[in-house]
Amino acid sequence: MLTRIIVRLMVVIVALGYAGVALGQDSVHKYFNDTALKVKATEDPVQKREILSKNLSDMTKALDTVKGAPLTSEEDDAKLDRIQSTLREKSDELVGANGFDRVPDDQLNAFSTYIVQDMEQADKTLSIGLVTLLLIIIIIILIA
Amino acid sequence: MKRRLRRIQRYLQRLIAGATPPRTDWGYKGYVTLAMLFTACSTTPPAPHQNPLDASPPRYSLVFIIHGDGDYLYHDALGNARRADEDVLAKAQTVAEQNPNANVYIFHEIERRHVLYLIPRRDGRAYIYERGRLVAQKSYWRDQGASRFDPEVRLYEEFAGGPDRPPVQLFFYFGHELPEFDGAGYDASYATRRVTIQDLAQGIGDIAGDSTKIDVVALATCFGGTPYTIGALAPYARYIIASPDNLHLSYFDLAPLASLDIASGDGAVAAFAERFARNAFDQLANEVQTVVSVAVYDANDVRAFVASVADAYDRTLATTNGTSPAPVEHCDCADDSTYALPGMSDGVTVLYRGPRFGRAKHKQQHSGWECWRTAE
Repeated sequence: MLTRIIVRLMVVIVALGYAGVALGQDSVHKYFNDTALKVKATEDPVQKREILSKNLSDMTKALDTVKGAPLTSEEDDAKLDRIQSTLREKSDELVGANGFDRVPDDQLNAFSTYIVQDMEQADKTLSIGLVTLLLIIIIIILIA
Repeated sequence: MKRRLRRIQRYLQRLIAGATPPRTDWGYKGYVTLAMLFTACSTTPPAPHQNPLDASPPRYSLVFIIHGDGDYLYHDALGNARRADEDVLAKAQTVAEQNPNANVYIFHEIERRHVLYLIPRRDGRAYIYERGRLVAQKSYWRDQGASRFDPEVRLYEEFAGGPDRPPVQLFFYFGHELPEFDGAGYDASYATRRVTIQDLAQGIGDIAGDSTKIDVVALATCFGGTPYTIGALAPYARYIIASPDNLHLSYFDLAPLASLDIASGDGAVAAFAERFARNAFDQLANEVQTVVSVAVYDANDVRAFVASVADAYDRTLATTNGTSPAPVEHCDCADDSTYALPGMSDGVTVLYRGPRFGRAKHKQQHSGWECWRTAE
């Protein structure tokens, strides 16, 4: 199963070249946006927090796994570190740890939008390589 | 003298432009004939001229350069996927149609594509409106000329005609942060081509011509409000609107351009710039949860501050761009004693709202100037 997913994605994305990068970035954006939509469709604040927490945690795990891969460059690793740090801060804010005020229940929808918008902005300044992007997508698919 | 040389250079480039391949296309000659067959219909014939009795000279000239060769996907608050460059193109076209007293030049820089993976297609599209009517639509090659914006300048000169310009000139750039150093990779389709803010400044200077300045330059990018960027644009602009911090891809709203009514006096132009900035700020503050910052810089009045910090800023850029560059990040210049000098607020009107969440959510104000500091 894993091999089939990897091979298919590799073939599609590498064949598309530049379009592959766009496809990869779009997938990452979509991942965060889908989470925000789920949060907004949920009434219960506890469930909202669970959805957000899982989303941030899954992406952090995916980045951890990708960082350990031999295919990623040192430069990409440094960029992934910065993205991870951003994600960690969002997790902290969600629960009110490490100096953050806990996000109030009535602001969880807005917070989910903030994550989407902030990650889309971070993406512009931290462009990562195609292979790294590809690995992130594969791992998100596997763990989501 | 430099300008004259550039004009001669551009004239020579124009002579060869039609037949010159994109510089990075290997093996172009082999399929140029086929490419011409595929792209021969790239120009829309001009619309019939209006009744000459209606042909009063336009009062306004608007130039839009919209960068779309990169990742411009974002999601709006409802979760709908949007393409920022396509959205702003549609809005600029509406503005062009709404203003019978303006000539509007829209340049959309798009991703470079190939027919059958082989034949390159033109990667720029120009839309020329005269007094509310689309008179020409043309595809062009972007990767031509010494400076990154030479193709747009050439087209502008081709359609704007002689040296006489309308009394009020406005210029808008929409895209990602224009690098202050290095600049490789700005265009996703041209990974090795370098683009910096100096290229844009040169392009604006060429569009402004010899004898005048653009009345308002709006730089809709992230981190446009730095001493270096404003210093680069100031010689060619009277007022500059920019975002010193991050700018969401919904960009600056164009509603204030819907029905232009700006007198040419300095006070009227300043009032328009502030109105445009205020509207952009209000729209963004309603739509986004991240930081919103829009500033208006009076190019004359900020000159002293820009000059006073230029050396320090250049040293930071040199360190950042050196052989073993230190990691750097943006910061409010007011947070760094090197830049926090008396007079830094002169000539700057700042509209700021911190992000709704995150470390900076308690930040109440911004100096309007963004600098670099070593990352922790």
